[in-house]
Amino acid sequence: MSSKVAQLPLVEPEDADPIAKQVYDDAQARFQMVLNIFKVTGHAPEMAKPMWDIFFEILAEGQVDWYTKELLILKSTNMGDCLYCVTQHEVVAERLGVTPEKQKDIVGQLYKDSPHYSDKERAILDLCSHMCVDPEGIPADVWSKVKSYYDDGQIVEIVATVGAYIQVSKFGDALGVQLEAVFAQHQPRLFAREAPKSPAARKHLKHFLDAQKQA
Amino acid sequence: MTAVALVQQSDNADVQAAFKQAEAHFGHIPNLVRALGSNAAMCRTITAFMIQSLQEGRVSWKFKEIVILKTLASNHSHYSYGAHEAVALALGNSPTKVGAVSNSLWQISDEYTQAEKDVLELVDQIGRDANDVSDELWDRLRANWDAGQLVELDALITTFILIGKVGDTLGVSEPVLFTRNVA
Repeated sequence: MSSKVAQLPLVEPEDADPIAKQVYDDAQARFQMVLNIFKVTGHAPEMAKPMWDIFFEILAEGQVDWYTKELLILKSTNMGDCLYCVTQHEVVAERLGVTPEKQKDIVGQLYKDSPHYSDKERAILDLCSHMCVDPEGIPADVWSKVKSYYDDGQIVEIVATVGAYIQVSKFGDALGVQLEAVFAQHQPRLFAREAPKSPAARKHLKHFLDAQKQA
Repeated sequence: MTAVALVQQSDNADVQAAFKQAEAHFGHIPNLVRALGSNAAMCRTITAFMIQSLQEGRVSWKFKEIVILKTLASNHSHYSYGAHEAVALALGNSPTKVGAVSNSLWQISDEYTQAEKDVLELVDQIGRDANDVSDELWDRLRANWDAGQLVELDALITTFILIGKVGDTLGVSEPVLFTRNVA
């Protein structure tokens, strides 16, 4: 089983190649920090820039507002049992106005009957859920509802956001990328509502919570 | 029917640039790039990342195509599978090596080195549970691949999970990816 140690060292800004350093500077400007997951891509700077450019676009107002995209990010990364992404995005989503109560109701099927969600939001959370499990099995009525609320450009952004966060969560989790110290005392919301399905993820969560008690 | 229209022409400068880059790289504009065309930011950035992935890198393109096929197969994605088989063959992989990807035969095939088999094991594990890639597998991977290669491979695997998910979700058919000579 994975011990959740970082499998590759991070490339710190002072050691980064100029292309990676530019990506780090862009991340610093945007997020006021260079996350560990950015630093691991310093080993392949030619790949880092095109990879992170996708996220710089997603994590901003677009044809879909950022608040709505954070709902998709929370849903998809929660379904993927990604402690790293869920922790960070519980914080980001709250800053954008997604209340803790609304966040907790994104777990499983809770959003379907939750007073915190609109039918418009439920439609894309249904799409997200199906996309995570079986993209070729998305029911026609789910598509009909999504298309009743969103145009093509928005649908592209919705689907790309879900896909990108499935990608980045697996990318970081496979490498054992560690949460940054600034998140060390964050109290998990989504994983408190429902434990991860993955035994390895449950172990990582326990390790995270045990470290909080020792701090 | 695709979930969104396949954009044939765009007035948006970013989409025009992405289409031009795609045409230069692939020999034509792939249907997935056209499907992204109604959202300039996603079209520009995802096209650029696809282009960066589908060429010689720290890992040979010849092996990257095997990894892509294994990723699509392991994640039950149909998007562009046949197109990537054609690319894998054009880059010099044998038909038997390509065929072994879609089931467990690669594990006992002498056409794969142990280093390559370790990467395909990583593909399978990331698909099952990325939280549970064992330390032992990482030790084997680090013995044969350097850090830059491992980051590139992890990004490639997870990117083609993304590409497969997006392509399958939008219902995009991509029978041919490259219309230019890739060899």
